[in-house]
Amino acid sequence: MKMGIICVAFIGPQNNPIYLRSMDPATDDQYLKLHYIVHCALDAVEEKVLLKRGPGDSQDAYLGLLYPTEDYRVYGYLTNTHVKIILLLDDEAPIKDEAVLRVLRRLHSLYVDTTSNPFHKFGLPITSPRFDAQLEQIVALYPRPGASLGGFTT
Amino acid sequence: MLRGGPAGARNAPSLEQINAEVFTLTYGSIVRQLISDFEDIEEVNKQLEQMGYNMGIRLVDEFLAKAKITRCSSFRDTADVVAKQALPMFLNVSANVANWSPDQTECSLVLTDNPLADFVELPEEYRELKYCNVLAGVVRGALEMVNMEVECRWVSDMLKGDDCYELRIKLKEHRDEKFPFKDDD
Repeated sequence: MKMGIICVAFIGPQNNPIYLRSMDPATDDQYLKLHYIVHCALDAVEEKVLLKRGPGDSQDAYLGLLYPTEDYRVYGYLTNTHVKIILLLDDEAPIKDEAVLRVLRRLHSLYVDTTSNPFHKFGLPITSPRFDAQLEQIVALYPRPGASLGGFTT
Repeated sequence: MLRGGPAGARNAPSLEQINAEVFTLTYGSIVRQLISDFEDIEEVNKQLEQMGYNMGIRLVDEFLAKAKITRCSSFRDTADVVAKQALPMFLNVSANVANWSPDQTECSLVLTDNPLADFVELPEEYRELKYCNVLAGVVRGALEMVNMEVECRWVSDMLKGDDCYELRIKLKEHRDEKFPFKDDD
């Protein structure tokens, strides 16, 4: 299953950044741009949430495609504790929603396991090496057509 | 997710069960609270061991009441019972006994899975913390109640990067039954 995952971000309930990781070496010097895109995504998340609050809508975690930018597609996922998971995919092949949902569910599960650590501090950025390694594993299941893993964490 | 009611250990009778995550998170909170109360990691290790000791002296009666085992004829038998019956009954994990010393007074209990430490990642500043020290205390307390004085210490810890949890048990002495009255009264 090929999916160009450029960036993974976790934002906390107070819109505080918990984790932002670029998975693509080509974007190493563009961390500001990625931060900016993720920040804009938060507005899109709030819009979607307001739209969904209509009568009869189910409280779904998966928000789908939030908005396309010139190089990326931004997908969002909102947990019941208001943690947002933002996924930036590159604009190449068309991706099925279910595949993105699977990735986001795995990331959610990883987040839950990490916060179950008694030494985890809520609200602060995640610095655990185990989290980094498992995130890489999840992303590695969906390789970019062509490239290898690289990138940076902020 | 439920623990207890072991699938593998046929000798261990089932006890009341508790959700494994509640158990793990409770223990994690206790350790965290001890660290913030005592601040000195060595002191926390001692407290965990003492807590374990207090649990062990009580658990051993429960174990002996529920498990149908015969009298252990040697320390070797005792170690096997702890590893293959007691640990599965209370923690639903089984351990192996290994690394016997030549005079048969020292051995290791090796565990590859430890429900106390699920999800735990030890931060750098708590490198000296023996997270599972409560288990060392439990074994020491339990064996003391059956007249064996032992010393237990952790030699391997998966939270610190090793590939298993290894608890070294050293038999110091068999204490004879003390009678409350003297013979020549």
